[in-house]
Amino acid sequence: MKLNRLSSYLLLTFASLLALFPLFWTVSTSIKNRVDTYTLPPKFFSFTPTLKNYISLFELEQFWQIALNSIVITLGSTAICLVVGSLAAYAFARKPRFKGRGSLEGLMIAVRALPGIVVILPIFKLSSYLGMYDSKVALVLIYAGFNLPFAIWLLMSFFEQIPVEIEESARVDGASNVRMFSQIILPLAAPGLVATGIFVSLLSWNEFLIPVIMAGENAKTFPVLVASFISNRTLDWGPMAAAATVALLPIVLLTVVIQRWLVAGLSSGAVKE
Amino acid sequence: MVLGAIILIPFIYGIYISFQDINLASFLPPQFVGFQNYSTVLAASETWSTFRITMAITVFGLIIQLPLGILLALALHENLKGTKIFRSILITPMLLMPVAVGLTYRFMFDTDLGVINWALGLVDIDRVNWLGSQTSALLAIIIVDSWQSVPFVMLLALAALTAVSPSLYEAAKVDGAASRQIFWRITLPLITPTLLVITMIKIMDFLKLFDTLFILTRGGPGNATTTLGLWTYKTGFIFLELSQAAALGVIVALITMPVYFLWRKASKGVR
Repeated sequence: MKLNRLSSYLLLTFASLLALFPLFWTVSTSIKNRVDTYTLPPKFFSFTPTLKNYISLFELEQFWQIALNSIVITLGSTAICLVVGSLAAYAFARKPRFKGRGSLEGLMIAVRALPGIVVILPIFKLSSYLGMYDSKVALVLIYAGFNLPFAIWLLMSFFEQIPVEIEESARVDGASNVRMFSQIILPLAAPGLVATGIFVSLLSWNEFLIPVIMAGENAKTFPVLVASFISNRTLDWGPMAAAATVALLPIVLLTVVIQRWLVAGLSSGAVKE
Repeated sequence: MVLGAIILIPFIYGIYISFQDINLASFLPPQFVGFQNYSTVLAASETWSTFRITMAITVFGLIIQLPLGILLALALHENLKGTKIFRSILITPMLLMPVAVGLTYRFMFDTDLGVINWALGLVDIDRVNWLGSQTSALLAIIIVDSWQSVPFVMLLALAALTAVSPSLYEAAKVDGAASRQIFWRITLPLITPTLLVITMIKIMDFLKLFDTLFILTRGGPGNATTTLGLWTYKTGFIFLELSQAAALGVIVALITMPVYFLWRKASKGVR
């Protein structure tokens, strides 16, 4: 169907406003003082900005430790996903048929399909035996386990784009397997590695179910802190909005930077390519 | 492989737990109780009511998200000036931290001072106590999920639209087909395999729904918006009946399974 130009523009503009408004509203609430926040009609632009909410957020006793936890866990699990994922994805991409490929693939996708609670509940029970409860290392491993299928899937499509001829000529020139992979394949797949890394770290940064169950005071991550603004009876919108802004804004800025790879990454894994 | 084990071993262990009688508040050694947890869980009315709620969210969510996603994909497919910018703006919501998104909507949905009720007031609609009753709370949950999910539907639908050969449209136009006819007779049938894939993925995502739900309503008021997944969580970590929760988990996995196979089947049709 051809939507006509005008209605397309109207539709897209309206949808974009809907997409952006909650972000705008969160940021603006985060820089309002109490009086401007709790008022009707809502104040969209005519208020004096304040950093009070951010200061009270940053002064929370655990804030910096929690932020640091989140960053460390995100980086750690992303690193594992990239190392293990690129090796696995390369094997998948270059050896179209090997025994058990079908069931391995099936298992990988099943991880995407399975509700996390089904897996995290037994992990929680196991954790008391293994001393894994509230441990950052455990969180890194669990995140990596959950995100690895996605990483492999995404990397596979990038490796498949590298022509086999390049490898063949490298082999003729006498390159070893290790050397070929590290010096020829990986550099060629660099954009794919970057894109995958960013996506996997987004998933880890946003993850809530795993830490809410597996983390106590020591390994608490940022989403758990953000969620804790709900549990107390008095909802104070200002600090709430400041916490949400700190959680959301880096991602928004990141999406601007990684525009190029976004579309490929977001739809990957959904259909076989 | 080792990391695959991080998922697989717990899953199998979960099945094992589901046949025992572990309660997190008791220190008695676990006993093997056969299918007792399953019969307890299946006899509980909450299991069925939360299942119905999950189904309701899924069905109404799909009814809203699929057409909206397709419509936006069609608009983007026109390739107007600025399409790229629109596309970037529109996909932003799906990348954001669901917990923080829930928080944002939490104060936008506020009954007295929320900006949503204020906007409704402008068109003379009375204040809604969004999170206070079952129907409106479910609607609120679906709205928030749609805000994050419609972009996903849109992206996949757009990929499918792009794959349709333009010559088909040309031929139809030469034959004098109206644009409405072209959509229903040509475009829609051709993107149907993709729509099936999207539907399956979305059903699985609705079964997984947790973060925004947890923030917006915690399944409340009462259990009025508790889904099967959230109920599993509550059984295990609020009522501390770990084995019963594991049995629920196995049931959720069993529900997911046919959807998963349909998805794999459907995705083979998309190339």
